[in-house]
Amino acid sequence: MSQEIVLVGLSHHTAPVEVREQVAFANGRLEPALRGLVAHPAIQESVIVSTCNRVEVVACGPAGDEVAAAIPGFLAAEHGVAADTLAGRLYTYRGREAVRHLFRVAASLDSMVVGEPQILGQLKDQYAIAASVGASGRVLHRCFHRSFSVAKRVRSETGIAARAVSVGSAAVQLAKEIFDRFQDKTALLVGAGAMGELTARQLLQQGTGTLMVANRTFERAGEIAGELGGIAVPFEKLARTLPMADLVIGAAGGDGYLLGRGDVDRAMRERRRRSMLLIDLAVPRSFDPAINQIDGVYLYDIDDLEGVIADNKGARAQEATAAEQIVESEVDSFCRWLEGLDVVPTVVALREKIEDIRQGELERYLASLGASLDPRQREAVERLTRAIVNKILHAPLSELRRRGSDRDEALYVEVARMLFRLGGDRDPDEED
Amino acid sequence: MELLLLRGAAFFYLMATVAALVGISVRHDLPGRALRWLLTAGFVAHAAGLALRGQTVGNVPVTNFGEALSFLALLLVGVFLLVQLRAPLVALGAVVSPLAFGLTFSAVALKGGAQPLPPELRSVWLPVHVGLSFLGDAVFALAFSASLLYLVQERRLKVHRGRGALRHLPSLETLDRVSHTCLKWGLVLLTLGITSGIVWAHEVWAGVWARDPKLLFTLFVWVLYVVLLQGRMTAGWRGRWAAQLTIAGFAVLVMSLVGVNVLGLGIHGKAF
Repeated sequence: MSQEIVLVGLSHHTAPVEVREQVAFANGRLEPALRGLVAHPAIQESVIVSTCNRVEVVACGPAGDEVAAAIPGFLAAEHGVAADTLAGRLYTYRGREAVRHLFRVAASLDSMVVGEPQILGQLKDQYAIAASVGASGRVLHRCFHRSFSVAKRVRSETGIAARAVSVGSAAVQLAKEIFDRFQDKTALLVGAGAMGELTARQLLQQGTGTLMVANRTFERAGEIAGELGGIAVPFEKLARTLPMADLVIGAAGGDGYLLGRGDVDRAMRERRRRSMLLIDLAVPRSFDPAINQIDGVYLYDIDDLEGVIADNKGARAQEATAAEQIVESEVDSFCRWLEGLDVVPTVVALREKIEDIRQGELERYLASLGASLDPRQREAVERLTRAIVNKILHAPLSELRRRGSDRDEALYVEVARMLFRLGGDRDPDEED
Repeated sequence: MELLLLRGAAFFYLMATVAALVGISVRHDLPGRALRWLLTAGFVAHAAGLALRGQTVGNVPVTNFGEALSFLALLLVGVFLLVQLRAPLVALGAVVSPLAFGLTFSAVALKGGAQPLPPELRSVWLPVHVGLSFLGDAVFALAFSASLLYLVQERRLKVHRGRGALRHLPSLETLDRVSHTCLKWGLVLLTLGITSGIVWAHEVWAGVWARDPKLLFTLFVWVLYVVLLQGRMTAGWRGRWAAQLTIAGFAVLVMSLVGVNVLGLGIHGKAF
């Protein structure tokens, strides 16, 4: 039976952070979850992708319907979440769609900040975990490695990746229009989002004097502060820390504003109206847009930053189209490979190939000797060659059919296709 | 000859204006260098022209309104070029150059033959008083220019217009600091200018000067600038508010310069 890849999950597009954090897999919980998944009779291989912006289960099995049906229940049970919390937030992609989605995720086309580079690393790590517990097999191995090379292609062949970097540099550029030096400035990073960290790093590279980090969980703030060489401040004291900050970067997702107009107003009085730049990278926004009305305060959200970035909309759309084209062609090539793993077409292809050889050789032979053979002799040669071919093919074909129900089906099919050079995708360019 | 030099200077200032405008819209240091060279050339021509005029007059050539404008333009360009040595701010040149051009052009247009100085003004106090006062005015004009740019840049940042022709303006912090520094120096020079004027007038007129409208106006401007500086240093006035006050202060200063002269009031009435 052929394998169908199914992807079920939720992301920042469909679920708020409250839901995402409920179904996220903490360190150490992936392994048992993966073992549980592949223990399901319908599921043969599985990889779980869990980041702060998405939780997705990629699985494959011969019966796509059953695989797709099994995953939502598994997610709900695994996290003790009511099934209707997830209903309407989970999306299901199957077959080609699933492959395309995974490729787009890997290439950071589906990210909150399109082009941010962290997602690929996270994907690799989580694939490695699945491989280490034996949850991924030939199909997902190939699929994930393909997604990694798609990501590399998109990064090197389009300008998508430059955009994420440019969010950080746009922030720096803005800061330079307000401040003439960074040494005596203090930056405050609110939240642990990847883009915030990237931006803070770029500000530090410019020589920003002090970095403070606040996060809902203080430990995480400590980690980031340690990594970047900053000071962790308690989240509850955010408003009290604010007067010290010349640059505030918001990278905490979640509903509701972390900073309101009143907070910044008070802070500005306390800092004697020295200019303050707030950059809100979060979606939904962390800072109340009304803050921008305060004298001496400049608030930019992610869309405003995009305006600062020098590339125009046309160029951006072009990059996106180019990236989608790369994804599409890779999806094609992967799906051809996957279809090739099917027993039936392999059997057909093998028969056709051998028959072609037989016919070709026969024609060549008859062309040179044809005149001296009478019809009966011709008939005999024809039968002889057909019998030889059938005898030779009998064992491999029946073996292939028998293995068709095995877990190793794909392996046998692939070997057969390789040995007989049955075409399809023959470049196993699997890196790492 | 002096008129030719003056026209030449005005031409250089006009070219400098173009260079500065190009300089704030492209990221390249060529317009900035062109700006400095053009202003320097203008300054030299201008100074030579005024020196010739000075010879005719026998002292600092500020005997009529036109001469006074011309002298102010020369000092403005000079101060700007000095500031450029410390902080190369092309954008500031985009305000200073047209100002200098306008002043010099008006001076050329007003012409007015050189009048011999009345004997009571032929004194060593004339260059001291006039030099200090005009230098103060020039420095205030620079503070005004920086504040004007501050408001433009502030507006740009507020409405999130990251691109456009003005994208290479200096940072708010730089503009604020330049404005502040100029205010301080301007105030020192203005104070010295007023003091020297009082001492001199006391020698010449003994008493009459105290009701001179120009003096009263200038004292008002002086108080305004003192309050502004005091506010900046102790009450933390800065940014937009401080920039607006600086511009308002300069507006009053210009009114005192032009108004008194046009109305021909008091002892400054004939010239400045």
